[in-house]
Amino acid sequence: MIFPDISTLSARFTSRLRSEQVAAKLGAWLGVSFTVAFATGLFSHFVQHPPTWLLWPSRPVNLYRVTQGLHVIGGIATVPLLLAKLWAVYPKLWQWPPFRSVGHAVERLCVLLLVAGALFQLVTGVLNIAYVYPWPFGFLQTHYWTAYVVFGALVIHVTNEWAKVRRSLWTRVEIPERRRFLFTVAAACGVTALVTAGETVTPLRSLAVLAPRDPRVGPQGVPVNRSAAAAGVVADPDYRLQVTGAVRTPLSLTYTDLVRMPQHTVHLPIACVEGWSVECEWTGVRLRDLLRSAGVAPDAFVTVESLEQRGGYRSSEVRPPHWNDPLTLLALQLNGQPLRLDHGFPVRLIAPNRPGALQTKWIKEVRVA
Amino acid sequence: MRKVVHAAGAALIVLGLGGLAAEGVLLKWALWFGGLLVAHDALLAPGIVVAGTVIGRWPQSVRSGLIVAGTLLLATLPTVSALGRRADNPSILPLHYGVNVVIVLAAVALLAVADHLLTRKD
Repeated sequence: MIFPDISTLSARFTSRLRSEQVAAKLGAWLGVSFTVAFATGLFSHFVQHPPTWLLWPSRPVNLYRVTQGLHVIGGIATVPLLLAKLWAVYPKLWQWPPFRSVGHAVERLCVLLLVAGALFQLVTGVLNIAYVYPWPFGFLQTHYWTAYVVFGALVIHVTNEWAKVRRSLWTRVEIPERRRFLFTVAAACGVTALVTAGETVTPLRSLAVLAPRDPRVGPQGVPVNRSAAAAGVVADPDYRLQVTGAVRTPLSLTYTDLVRMPQHTVHLPIACVEGWSVECEWTGVRLRDLLRSAGVAPDAFVTVESLEQRGGYRSSEVRPPHWNDPLTLLALQLNGQPLRLDHGFPVRLIAPNRPGALQTKWIKEVRVA
Repeated sequence: MRKVVHAAGAALIVLGLGGLAAEGVLLKWALWFGGLLVAHDALLAPGIVVAGTVIGRWPQSVRSGLIVAGTLLLATLPTVSALGRRADNPSILPLHYGVNVVIVLAAVALLAVADHLLTRKD
């Protein structure tokens, strides 16, 4: 076997589908997709880790559900697109000479960061939503910081390639083979979205046959992220809910006390950071009513704390826009039944426009700062 | 203008790398970052090139079907493999993914056949 001459290797790729126009069109689609993912990802990150000055609103009710659904389903559907784009430009990897100048070397380094970063984000993302974590680092931090690397490299790449994008984007693809290829890639993205989107887009749920969640499956017909067993929580017959901190009257309430307070029923989604979501009917005590009866200033920051001993989400902060919202409940019932232990019995938080990880379960204490 | 955008992009890259360094995961991250690049450039892409030389003369519809099926399979592989199942929480990965993936691939195959019959030039 004659080893191919590497200096002529890139010329040996003969498919006519690998054209500048095809690469530019796929690139433009990818640019949109990664920009949406970056924006929705940052939104999710800062909703979960808000700086002190950020009072994000409790409305629209479904905002987080929509942005995170876009992030996750859009991410899955980008896999065919990225693979097609990398296929279309693969001969460029073997261009000879590899570096024509220092500037060219820097440009290629940026492309390396972009390609590796895009692969990293999609691979870690699709594994994470399937609850597979084979890496030796935290998903959250690395997925977050890599996003900046990818988006920075993307901005530079788009600037460098802008002339080609402009040339190709608004002109019709004349060769039928190429049109067909682009259509096939779009179809692959569409089918991928179609068989997964139903885990968050309720009307499509019967089609979500390859989604990691079915929004109808779980205790009381609702999925659960962290079970009571995993959290090490058991039902406590001597349960009391404590309202403490900067209050006029500290409260200590039994489950029966809570049931006797005015009950309200709301329809709110539980929207997980992993992309699945489902709207449920919740019944319980308005957090606002509880805090007012304890005598809390309307601009106070509140922390709800779980019976869980460990775990990053054993407590969460509820800032004024959320706890003053009449839809925010300390829920006792889910879909007309008392909460099961896996859903946070005796009491859990449910608030509008809030990631599922912050809808704290098994609440034992409401602490006012 | 171009320089300003380049500087902004470079600043984002530095911010990201700085963040990873501050988390103390830069080295482990770099192994995965580079590892995935190598896995794509040295394994997956050449594999596709070889596959391309085999299917290059097959009917267009079949090739389209294979592109859809292959990329769809890669995108959903972590879910279909169901490695993340846990005994304490049956609501995670609750479906029969083996059966479902066969059904989805069969539907893609049917569409490819239909496409072939409708578009072939007699």
